[in-house]
Amino acid sequence: MREQALHIEDLEKRYPTGVEALRGVSLDIAPGELFGLLGPNGAGKSTLIHCTTGLAQPTGGAIRVFGHDATGDYGDARQAVGLAPQEPNLDWFLTVAETLDYHAGYFGMPKAARRERTDELLETFSLTEKRDERTRTLSGGMKRRLILARAMMHRPRLLILDEPTAGVDVELRLELWHYVQRINQEGTTILLTTHYLEEAEQLCDRIAFINEGQIVGRGTSAELAARYGVASLEDAYLALVGRKELSRSHAEVIAP
Amino acid sequence: MSAAQIRFATLWRREVNRFMKIKKQTLGAPLLETFLYISVFGAALGSRIKELHGIEYVVFVIPGLIMMSFAINSFANNSSSILQQKFQGAIQDQLSSPASPLELLLAFSFGGFMRGLIVAGLTFIAASLLVDLPVDHILVLVPSLFLVGFFFSQLGVLTGVRAEQFDDVAFVQTFVLTPLIFLGGVFYSATLLPQPFETLTHFNPIYYMINLVRYGFVGFTEVSIPLSLLALTAATAVLFAVNLRLFARGYKLRA
Repeated sequence: MREQALHIEDLEKRYPTGVEALRGVSLDIAPGELFGLLGPNGAGKSTLIHCTTGLAQPTGGAIRVFGHDATGDYGDARQAVGLAPQEPNLDWFLTVAETLDYHAGYFGMPKAARRERTDELLETFSLTEKRDERTRTLSGGMKRRLILARAMMHRPRLLILDEPTAGVDVELRLELWHYVQRINQEGTTILLTTHYLEEAEQLCDRIAFINEGQIVGRGTSAELAARYGVASLEDAYLALVGRKELSRSHAEVIAP
Repeated sequence: MSAAQIRFATLWRREVNRFMKIKKQTLGAPLLETFLYISVFGAALGSRIKELHGIEYVVFVIPGLIMMSFAINSFANNSSSILQQKFQGAIQDQLSSPASPLELLLAFSFGGFMRGLIVAGLTFIAASLLVDLPVDHILVLVPSLFLVGFFFSQLGVLTGVRAEQFDDVAFVQTFVLTPLIFLGGVFYSATLLPQPFETLTHFNPIYYMINLVRYGFVGFTEVSIPLSLLALTAATAVLFAVNLRLFARGYKLRA
């Protein structure tokens, strides 16, 4: 069997408060795939990502990244993953260049390689002029770009983007889409969570819907629409998360 | 360098970089504070007290001040650095890296230790310029100071990991550490206290640390040096083991 970039099996996460954030999630993402994970707020998207990257500890199930166990002997699995989180979590004390350099150091990259990669990514993300500025002085868009650059710094084989375009303007969103597609074309597997259905439709090879801690549907955009007998991904999504009444086509039908 | 060595060096460098970027606050302020203590207790009180146990009063006080600056700065650095990173979310970058709990804990520990060492070292140099400060037992002084620094570094890590708001860190420093240090005999000898305060002082762990450092400098102690060293080593090891367990479990660090 071909080794999956991400293999998740019966993943469970119950918080000490008793909240069950993940209830037996199973998911496979093939190498080179651009995979979208969609779901409403609180569906379990971020918890799934946190379990994969070591920021949360699963209470059941298994996660393997390119065949490496992500929870027990996690070193190789984490080395293969880059995470751009939803909330900007930059270190206020560091400059832009230091942010990239330190991140690469945390992943064991030697000094010369760090320096070269830092210059390359600063250039790619149009941050070269800001390299010596403290991160807290950056605009929201620059912070987003820096977070994406940081996630790519150690050349991860699996890049996880948690709502990368949430709250950004149209120009930056298109710019980020361009970066994401380019990174994917260069061979990096991408797991993307988003609230924007058109974003998932345009960028992703396959999509999974998650709701109340469970995967409730998966496939290509067309497959999902066909399977549920609806016209669009949006309608398929609404049907799967149980909010059919919000469908625009449904509204058109009932409106006189 | 191996990948693990690069990881550890980077984590440690980040800690040192943080306090060096705000050195007015992290190095300058503690140095000024210590200088003021020496001025007030040395020049003002010293002119009246003259000697304690045959030692010039200011010289009697300085070892305790050096120990105090090592302790408080090691503690403050780690507790505030960890809490700040938790608060900003920046610690996620380290927690999602391949770094092991041991690498993370050692890097934080040595960051605080380094700040304590710099402030204590500068205090020692400044004090040596002002008064004739002997170093009678360097083989006791060096391990004692290092153990004190590492102990408070661990205490800072523990406080930072457990803390949920800045008030939690301030509480430990203001209401626990500062009273214990001041009542531990930095500025006086416990033998001068009336009962029950003299006996109570013996229940204060800082009292033994101050005596270890004072013995290293001026050769005077009110406690058993081997027993105090043993107890401090054991306490530091226990605290380190507790912190390592917390990092391995991800207590208040990972969801």
